[in-house]
Amino acid sequence: MTTKNSFIKKIAVVGRPNTGKSLVFSCLTRKYSMSGNLPFTTLALKRVMCRMNDEAYEIVDTPALNSLYIQSEEEIIVRDLLLSEKPDVIIQCVDANRIKQSLVLTIDLIELGIPMVMSLNAVDETARKGVWIDSERLSHILGIPVVEMVAINGHGVNELKNAVVRARKGRSTIRYGDVIENSISSIVDKMPREMLFRKKIAMLLLQHDSFLTPYLITNCGQKNTDHLIQHTQLQRQNYAGNINLQINSRRDKWIDETVDEVVKKQRILLGGFSRKASRISRHPVFGVPVLLGILYALFFTVVHVANKLALLLNDLCWLPVQNIISKNVTSVFWNDFLIGHYGILTLGLSNAILTVLPILGIFFILFNVLEDSGYIPNLCVLLRRLSSKIGVTGNALLPITLAFGCKTMATLTTMSLRSRKEKFIAVYLIAFGIPCAAQMALNMSILGNMGFTAIAITFSILGLLWITIGMILNLILKNDEKVDFIQELPPMRLPHIKAILKKTFYKLRLFLEEALPIFIGAALLMFTIDRIGLLDMLKNALRPVITGYLGFPLQMVDVLVLLMAKHEAAAGLLIKMVARGELNYVQCIVAVTLTMMFVPCLANIMAMIKEQGVKKALVMILSINCTAIAVAGGLNWFLVHVAGL
Amino acid sequence: MEKKHDNDECLENLWKMKEENQSSMATLKSMMGDDYKPDVVKDLLSKELVALGAEETTITLTPRGEELAKQLIRSHRLAERMVHDVLGGEFEAGACEFEHIANPGLVNSICTLLGHPRECPHGLPIPMGRCCEEARKVAESTVIPVTELKVGQTARVAYINCRNDNRLHKLDNLQVKPSAVIKLHQIYPTIVIECENADIAIDESVARDICVWKPQTGT
Repeated sequence: MTTKNSFIKKIAVVGRPNTGKSLVFSCLTRKYSMSGNLPFTTLALKRVMCRMNDEAYEIVDTPALNSLYIQSEEEIIVRDLLLSEKPDVIIQCVDANRIKQSLVLTIDLIELGIPMVMSLNAVDETARKGVWIDSERLSHILGIPVVEMVAINGHGVNELKNAVVRARKGRSTIRYGDVIENSISSIVDKMPREMLFRKKIAMLLLQHDSFLTPYLITNCGQKNTDHLIQHTQLQRQNYAGNINLQINSRRDKWIDETVDEVVKKQRILLGGFSRKASRISRHPVFGVPVLLGILYALFFTVVHVANKLALLLNDLCWLPVQNIISKNVTSVFWNDFLIGHYGILTLGLSNAILTVLPILGIFFILFNVLEDSGYIPNLCVLLRRLSSKIGVTGNALLPITLAFGCKTMATLTTMSLRSRKEKFIAVYLIAFGIPCAAQMALNMSILGNMGFTAIAITFSILGLLWITIGMILNLILKNDEKVDFIQELPPMRLPHIKAILKKTFYKLRLFLEEALPIFIGAALLMFTIDRIGLLDMLKNALRPVITGYLGFPLQMVDVLVLLMAKHEAAAGLLIKMVARGELNYVQCIVAVTLTMMFVPCLANIMAMIKEQGVKKALVMILSINCTAIAVAGGLNWFLVHVAGL
Repeated sequence: MEKKHDNDECLENLWKMKEENQSSMATLKSMMGDDYKPDVVKDLLSKELVALGAEETTITLTPRGEELAKQLIRSHRLAERMVHDVLGGEFEAGACEFEHIANPGLVNSICTLLGHPRECPHGLPIPMGRCCEEARKVAESTVIPVTELKVGQTARVAYINCRNDNRLHKLDNLQVKPSAVIKLHQIYPTIVIECENADIAIDESVARDICVWKPQTGT
């Protein structure tokens, strides 16, 4: 896909976090790309081929990029795309609410010299606030087409498509002064002639971009790179002062002048919903009831809506099927194979589609509302004091909070962390005890049958344990460099119903594509090991631990086996066991605590290996699972013997 | 007067060399270029402000010379800070003469007015004076760190103490820069400021390094 084809033009959609890149990408390609009102929604490049204006294009959606001066690893992917693949056109997405911040990147892109178009997003919001941006004037100043858009509704897409044909190299009037310009020229002279973007790379070198070295080594060899770095150091030493300060000051002056010229404001600006909502959600006093209210709403919806929906679907769709099969399939083997305890329809299909899917569907709708409203980054502000006690000083808090959505994605976002200690703690804590959206929905559904106190007990225990583990890791791990915490908070927005439903649909589709074969496979496995007697042997061997130490009925072995395959499959079985009355109050709490602590899915494990390496990931998984079993046993003993439940 | 000027320039260059852990005579000569005069070194030697190493290949400041150089550098960099922040212009031309005419009292007053900045606009350290040590939080400071603003107050950024390029870039990407207007929204549990329509959560250590012009009471 990455090879250059002269007939296919490449368009890179780039921009700062939360500027609507994935929305623009989806509008152009008609292929859904997950988006949300929070950073880190896109973590890898996404490429789609499509036809536009009677030409073939490869369109690339990218993770966020603040400027070409790299500050975290996920930005490297985007810069490498621009430098190595040299797209034919760049579409820069800009949030009209925060135009100055985006112009920092605009200057970089203009200096790169690739034809570009600016997509000025969310102009409906600025208009409502009483801010008007003269896009024609902006286009004239920058020398590139600027297209006003409301990407969430798809407004302005046709104009954007037309503008791609008119993409131009931008114009910049910024001068950095003779000393800096001469230094840049002297570095350019030392570079191989065939190297692309020499001037921009020389400037980044001068700015001391530490992430540039690997790119240079690949493109001009170790010897030349050493030589270039040495020469740049000399240039920096000869400059009486801080080069970055000087460069930034010239750019900022230009940005201020440009914005003064193109942005007009009413005298009275309207604050509106966004400001008030975000302030309340992170307020030290009001923020707490808001958080509790949200948690209660999630609980209520799962227990009283999703659970009932699942039961209804079971009665409406599953019971008739079960009846038909039991009447028509006379062979005991095939009857068992299809609808027996471990039948592929019982444990596989119906478990996935009729039990798990409706609960996930309802929960995802609510969770997507939270994601799109921009609540989650604001929640980080509220939790930060607490989290600093466990060695999570701020930067790691967002990835950890994102784990409540998807633990795999959250683990991958830790690549943005620069402190190795913080990164280790974050990956560990994400894997340990944080329920992802799917786990949260299903566990709430299981515990909900036992009442709100069961949920309160389970989550308090998990919370306490989680903080203890964090504190221990914080104590035993060696301190390394302290990294600044500077986090831009997205504006809170009223979510669009259509966008929420679309996102829920895609998440459910993804779940079915990924999980359905595993559900059926796991059912087959259970059926087979049951038939050949292996399951009984396993149960007998594990009896002392399962019934003695953990206090479970022996059937819990089924859940534990399924847990290895897919968390949701185990949860589905647990829901059924609770419904059949096979688990009491204490067993239910212990079971959910145990399953929630276990390292969940294969994807999460792969992400852990990617971020921490095989050795560290294995240590993490082993210690997490051992702790989970030890704690579950202790909890069972405590609840039965001490609390007398 | 001219001799004092030459001596001062030489002492300033020796201070800069000290900051870079350098002491070779050759470096001094290359730094001063045409302004290097052997008589000046002789004069400084006779006043016991500098000391020469073996075979006169190295030159270092004596404790007395160091004290004098520190005052000169402090005056020079504070002057740059003032010209840059208060007058908003190019600072080199005006500042380079200032240290030769300013007295310590005036320098201390400027330092206090500017809220005891730690770096010049070039990002080089300003040596601390007695005023900085004694009165880190003097009431009459006109420039204060963001941490001393009251919640809800709006203020204009005077300067940012930038010790590393990364922080400088991160803040600049968010347009937190000299002359930007920021508003403090909350301090607890995390400091949140508003700048250019965006709310930004920051560490206390970062907030301490963002220095703003003290707002009038009531704003």
